[in-house]
Amino acid sequence: MQVLITVLNGLALGAILFLIAVGLSLVFGIMDVLNLAHGAVYLIGAYTAVALFADDVTAGGFVLAVLAAAVAGALAGAALAGMSLPVRGHLDQALLTLGVALIVTEVMNAVFGTEVHAIPPPPGLDVSVGVFGQAYPVYRLVLVAVGAALALGLHLALERTRIGATLRAAVADRQMVEALGIPTRRLVVGVFAAGAALAAVGGVLAGPLLGAQPGLDDTVLLLALVVVVIGGLGSVRGALLGAVLVGQVQALGVALVPGAASFLLFAAMGAILLLRPAGLLPARGMAQA
Amino acid sequence: MSFSAVPPGRGRLVVPVVAVAALAVLPLVLGPYPITLGSRILAFALLVLSVDILTGVTGLPTLGQAAYFGAGAYTAALVGIHWTGSAVVQLLAGVVVAAVLALVTGAVVVRTRGIVFLMVTLAVGELTHQAANSWPVVGGTNGLAGMPPISVLPGGPPLTLSGFVYWWVLAVFVAGYVVVAHAMRSPFGRTLRGIRDNEPRLRALGVRTYPAKLAAYAMAGAVAGAAGTLWAAQARFVAPADLAFDVAAFALLSVVIGGAGSLWGPCLGAALVILVRDELSDHVDGRGPLLLGVVFVACVYVLPRLRGRLRRRKGAR
Amino acid sequence: MDIHLSPPSKTILAIVTASLLTACSGSSISGQQTPQQAAGPLAIGLVVPLSGVYAPLGEDMTNGFKLYLDQHGGRLGGKEIALKSSDEGEGPQTGVPAATKLVTQDKAVAVAGIVNSATALGARNAFIESKVPLVIANAGANDVTAGASPYIWRTSFTNNDVAASLGAEVAEQAGDGSVYLIAPDYAAGKEMIGGFKKTFEAAGGKVAGESFTPFGTTKDFQPFLSTIKGSGAKAVFCFYSGAEAVGFVTQYAQFGLADDLPLYATGFLTEGSVLKAQGGAATGAQTSLHYSDQIDTPRNKEFVAAYQAAYNEPPTVFAVQAYDAAAVLDKAIAKAAAPTGEAIAKVIGEIGPIDSPRGQWSFDADHDPTQPYYLRKVEDRAGTLVNVVVKKLGQD
Repeated sequence: MQVLITVLNGLALGAILFLIAVGLSLVFGIMDVLNLAHGAVYLIGAYTAVALFADDVTAGGFVLAVLAAAVAGALAGAALAGMSLPVRGHLDQALLTLGVALIVTEVMNAVFGTEVHAIPPPPGLDVSVGVFGQAYPVYRLVLVAVGAALALGLHLALERTRIGATLRAAVADRQMVEALGIPTRRLVVGVFAAGAALAAVGGVLAGPLLGAQPGLDDTVLLLALVVVVIGGLGSVRGALLGAVLVGQVQALGVALVPGAASFLLFAAMGAILLLRPAGLLPARGMAQA
Repeated sequence: MSFSAVPPGRGRLVVPVVAVAALAVLPLVLGPYPITLGSRILAFALLVLSVDILTGVTGLPTLGQAAYFGAGAYTAALVGIHWTGSAVVQLLAGVVVAAVLALVTGAVVVRTRGIVFLMVTLAVGELTHQAANSWPVVGGTNGLAGMPPISVLPGGPPLTLSGFVYWWVLAVFVAGYVVVAHAMRSPFGRTLRGIRDNEPRLRALGVRTYPAKLAAYAMAGAVAGAAGTLWAAQARFVAPADLAFDVAAFALLSVVIGGAGSLWGPCLGAALVILVRDELSDHVDGRGPLLLGVVFVACVYVLPRLRGRLRRRKGAR
Repeated sequence: MDIHLSPPSKTILAIVTASLLTACSGSSISGQQTPQQAAGPLAIGLVVPLSGVYAPLGEDMTNGFKLYLDQHGGRLGGKEIALKSSDEGEGPQTGVPAATKLVTQDKAVAVAGIVNSATALGARNAFIESKVPLVIANAGANDVTAGASPYIWRTSFTNNDVAASLGAEVAEQAGDGSVYLIAPDYAAGKEMIGGFKKTFEAAGGKVAGESFTPFGTTKDFQPFLSTIKGSGAKAVFCFYSGAEAVGFVTQYAQFGLADDLPLYATGFLTEGSVLKAQGGAATGAQTSLHYSDQIDTPRNKEFVAAYQAAYNEPPTVFAVQAYDAAAVLDKAIAKAAAPTGEAIAKVIGEIGPIDSPRGQWSFDADHDPTQPYYLRKVEDRAGTLVNVVVKKLGQD
């Protein structure tokens, strides 16, 4: 029974990771940009929640925080897109986005202080129910549901809409898409903004689990990078699989092999990358990484 | 930078010699704290050089050199505590251990490229970091303290003054730089640059790139190990924090700032990063990371123009 | 490199180099410490984290130290003080240079502070060799004061003592039931568990099991909480601080353990801003620590009022540790034969007991504080959560 609870927990974690990683993956896939400011965007979302409802949270307040975070994230993403477009080369982009991340997080430290802030779940969802005979926080169940819904939504958006098709084509062969006369620049900025918005929303939704504090952006960025690389760059399905896997490694893996808990994540990532360098579900049409 | 193996005229050596002389003179004019800072900068610059071998010259961006740096540092500290305070012995031991570790891990790691290589080296770095955290032999999370001051030769007088330690660090740094520069100008270096620019084409020409990449990886590991022994010599204390992701990331960023591929540029980048992180942080009331971020962003936009102007004055690359 | 220096440039460089040589302001190979000026304020160093995850502790410590200075007109031992501050950062990479800088560059005659144990271990040799006293105001690793060097003193705690103080009490409360032990997987976590286990088992306690969680990276404690539930333990003893404390306590309640299994810990679990973040989840947690802002003595009430007036928040144990470090230096400098590090260090052992907000304490043979540890319980007092003092856990 304990194992099932742990698996369920891994799925909750996976849901958060998917939310955060999918934007990172798409941005890399379509723009070939390594966005190391992604963790900082997540933190923007988390601190938005802190700013809007530090202690007393209402359902409406929570929803407002989600929307506000989405807007803040989208703006940040668009700004980052503008800054990164003229910069060529992964390493220079890494330098740029890391610099931006340092600036943004320091500004937030100055505004919100350096202590740990807890973000409470909305009322009604802050209870625990019996699952498999044990108390389990309802909020985490909600997260699993949200993650699944988002995955489905994104899948439909990518497969069934015109924009989705253009996006998939741009990931596979951007120059061809441009040759067809479709302005990819707007698409790219849009993907950046949407991905960042998702990450910021992730900051609010994951708030009850992870809180808000300095240094959290590094942790989240690292996890997102691992998810993206394991799953395969530029692919939503890859991000989902990667997120589920990483979630399980952190939950089930730690439960089964507690002595090696600190090593599990990177050992798993290293092993997967050595066997499948392009990731487990790379985007169709993408050349070998 | 020209690729010819014969330097065109002795005038070429003027600036390096003057630079080294200027560095060597510093202990006579600076107090102990700035000189220790100088030792740290030189040790870190040697680590950055090792990253440049892989990232700048061979086109393999790495986040794992901190692992070999740490291996060298811990080896030097263990040798110093349990065996001899001789810096030469510590250097050799550190270099050997790091090179072997690099060879063993590199055999698997250099099969990958690009961002995958980046993430795999990150994994190597983080796993080594965790190992240092967990292994009681190297002190676990508390680190390894109690390393006695180095002496140059076994049985020689210990160098307790920071100026003398600085001269040792400078000597090893210069020697390392010369070795690396020479290797990068050789046909081996040309192969590495070929791998960076167009590996499939090189393979089509019949060049076996895997052994070349592995050799570069082992060499970079050895250089990082040497840098680690220098770090241990000046700090006399090694902790898992010295192998953390931060160290690897800052080393990589120093290469980017200084110009990947040129050898002296990343060394200047290293100096800049250490100065901003360690020295200026106090003056800006703990807002060091903010300053660092501003420096990084500025470098991305300003430096390419500067580098372009420098290159045009020097003539064809 | 192909940059050629024109002849005039070479001359300029030669002139500059020559003038640098003649303008020797200091030297790193002469081996003599430039002596402190006889007149003028005494340089005292304070090295605490101003950036990074430990910054909140650094802030508290700076506040505590400065409060003491303010209460004494900016003087220690009757001498005017120039306080030199240095940023310890997150670990020894930045911390050790920051601490030694205060000695080599700022010529401090004494230095206080240091949160991180690894930094303390890395820096101590430099202080011993430079003959400058280091008064550690937080770092708890048992080995920091090993060897009882005249230059290394500690006003905070040892990991061993603060955890061991709870052993007998938990054994009594748990009775026949077993207790599960859990802490982060690093030196401090291991020392805390080790210290607790010794006195706990000596008092007849039974250990149900032990877990060490990955340090600094664990956000989700569910797998460990499940293990605890499955072990049949009747109570839990843990050590967590900072974000991990918030996560652990919150999830302890969310997964239903708080209702059935009493939670014991060293006081860092519920000290300072983490208590606010934990909210109701922390209620009922019993912790051991050498301070609580609820200590009901006139000395503490006076201190809490002064701290609250100055900084608008209640003091934490970190503030008190730094406050006492200033008190130690005050007494030592007054007693010292000369305003030098060596003279000050010589007399620190003779300053006698410190009248601290935490109670009276004095240095033991290892230069650590011999002090009372309090059993505290988290309770809601007029809408705010505080660490109520239940009783003293016996002299150490």
